[in-house]
Amino acid sequence: MTVRDTRSLWLPRLVLGVAVLLVLTPLVFQVGISLKPPDQVFSNVLLPLSSLPTLDSYLVVLQSVPIGQYLMNSLLFSVGVTVGQIALALPAAYAFSYYQFRFKNLLLALVLISLMVPFVVTYIPNYLLLAQFRLVNTLPGLIVPMLGVSLGFGIFLLRQHFMTFQREILEASMIDGANSWQTLTRVVAPANVSAVTALAVYILINTWNQFIWPLMVGGGRVESYTLTVGVQMYFTNPEGGNRWGSVMAASVLTSLPTVVMYLMMRKGILRTFTEGAVKG
Amino acid sequence: MSFTPLPVSKARSGEGAGVRAKCITASKNPLSLITDRAGLWTLDGRFAACERYRESIVIMERSSALSQRRPATLGLRARATVRAGLHRLVPYLYIAPALVAILLFVYVPLLRSFQLSFFRGNLLNPFREYVGLLNYQEMLTGRLFGELLLQSGLYLLFAVIGSVIVPVSLAFLTLQLTDREIDFYQSVLFLPTVIAFNVVVLIWAFFFLPTGGGLFNAIIGYFGRPPAAWLQDPVLTLPAIALIANWKIMGFHFLLAIAGLKAIPREYLEAAYVDGAHGWTLIRFIVLPLFAPTLLFILIITLIGSLDAVFTPIRVLTEGGPNNATNNLMYAIYSEGFRYFRPGQASALSVILIVLFGGLIYWQYRLFDRNVIYDR
Repeated sequence: MTVRDTRSLWLPRLVLGVAVLLVLTPLVFQVGISLKPPDQVFSNVLLPLSSLPTLDSYLVVLQSVPIGQYLMNSLLFSVGVTVGQIALALPAAYAFSYYQFRFKNLLLALVLISLMVPFVVTYIPNYLLLAQFRLVNTLPGLIVPMLGVSLGFGIFLLRQHFMTFQREILEASMIDGANSWQTLTRVVAPANVSAVTALAVYILINTWNQFIWPLMVGGGRVESYTLTVGVQMYFTNPEGGNRWGSVMAASVLTSLPTVVMYLMMRKGILRTFTEGAVKG
Repeated sequence: MSFTPLPVSKARSGEGAGVRAKCITASKNPLSLITDRAGLWTLDGRFAACERYRESIVIMERSSALSQRRPATLGLRARATVRAGLHRLVPYLYIAPALVAILLFVYVPLLRSFQLSFFRGNLLNPFREYVGLLNYQEMLTGRLFGELLLQSGLYLLFAVIGSVIVPVSLAFLTLQLTDREIDFYQSVLFLPTVIAFNVVVLIWAFFFLPTGGGLFNAIIGYFGRPPAAWLQDPVLTLPAIALIANWKIMGFHFLLAIAGLKAIPREYLEAAYVDGAHGWTLIRFIVLPLFAPTLLFILIITLIGSLDAVFTPIRVLTEGGPNNATNNLMYAIYSEGFRYFRPGQASALSVILIVLFGGLIYWQYRLFDRNVIYDR
């Protein structure tokens, strides 16, 4: 039996339905405006959908902006950060879960607190550091500091999963003669592959969506724009044509990969967000 | 790990410890006390370690609480312990790369901010001139700081409404719905979280266009009102910016609230329901107290994260204006550093921010650290 009172359910459904509408409206407009004929963006503003959808705005974007280059930068940036963070977080989480050692709690506290340091505080010194090594407007400059800045989350999340992993399996693998590194790469990591994947998707989406950092570090040169920065620059300096149609088209192109990834792996992503934040 | 040596004679004759097995191998180095293979089992199930010393075998009986355990486990434990003793560095090696990255890009910058705050210069030469506490003095006594505090506080108010009260209330509304419905609502409401923040801001920028062509002006125009300059009007700007930021975050906090609610044992709700608690009574006296830890958690991450969250809309749309109406402590750090190129002043402000938020940050850390929220 569940607590249910079917008579009074219309009110919650109505309110939640309104919330759903409010959340979806801007997204409908985003897609709708990008598909409107560019000269009709401001006719019938209240109607997001045009009777004659066209891809004209997309063509304008593709012709006037090196979107392939941006896409490549976004891809390399997010994949680089994801792979790097997973590679660093896996062994660290492994050690924090299964080993006892001096200063363990202190080191773990350092990892967790690093997550709560406001980003503006670290961005300026990090930028200065990159400037010193002439890494501003380069891909390594974009990627490398991000390996540290949000790494704590991955360690924390993987540790949560490893802690629930059965120790007997580890001992069995040790008896079979695996050393601790082999236990990590051949037993622990494969057994937690779904958690690692969910974490990877989480990092990928977050990095893909980053804006302030790529703007600071990569915003000085068109060749180092990520998609988010590229859309922004296009919004500030549109090159010809009606700007809203093509700005929305560019923004749809930017959001498409993460939204598709979300729709495909919704369950895992939602779980990762909840666990990372709520589970202690 | 401590061993008490048995008299050699006893060991040889097999008395006392009841040794049955022979010591299989010992280290080739006579000086090393124990290798991990040098263990053997006594008849009564205890573990003994042995050592070949010159020609005689010394049996050392283990004196520890472990001797009560099952022999098989005990052997492994003992072996593992010995091994860990030899490789005490291993966990540090696993952690080192991650820790170096975190130290290098979070804690060193933090210290560097502290150091920078005593200097003045530009982005190319931030340590040009040592000025002592001048940056702090100027920041804390200037008119700007008061405004920053006020605007930050004002924004936090909006954030508490939009990122705590609204999502938590919406989550409470799902209490009687089926899991499938809840899943649908949280999936849709979460959608803005996976879209880049500046993209979200661009969509809303269209809604807030100051001309009649913007969506909001089209709506109020429908009711015969003249178009408003949403993002230039000092009164309207902050709510407009807050709407954008909270629209983006709300779904995530809704998700957290749902998770917190699901963690409340169903039996409690059913029992209360059977006892006649309905609607508001049920929520006020049963759900809310059990939900309090989650609520606290959402409140804290809102307070810590909201200035962070409103950063992008401010950066893209208003740059802190008009007349500081959308400026706040966090954005001011950025504009000092990257618009006015004054890393010293920016860093002083960073330190002030960390001090102001330090308590909150520590509180959040405690929540993370203990299992305060709930166990799945």
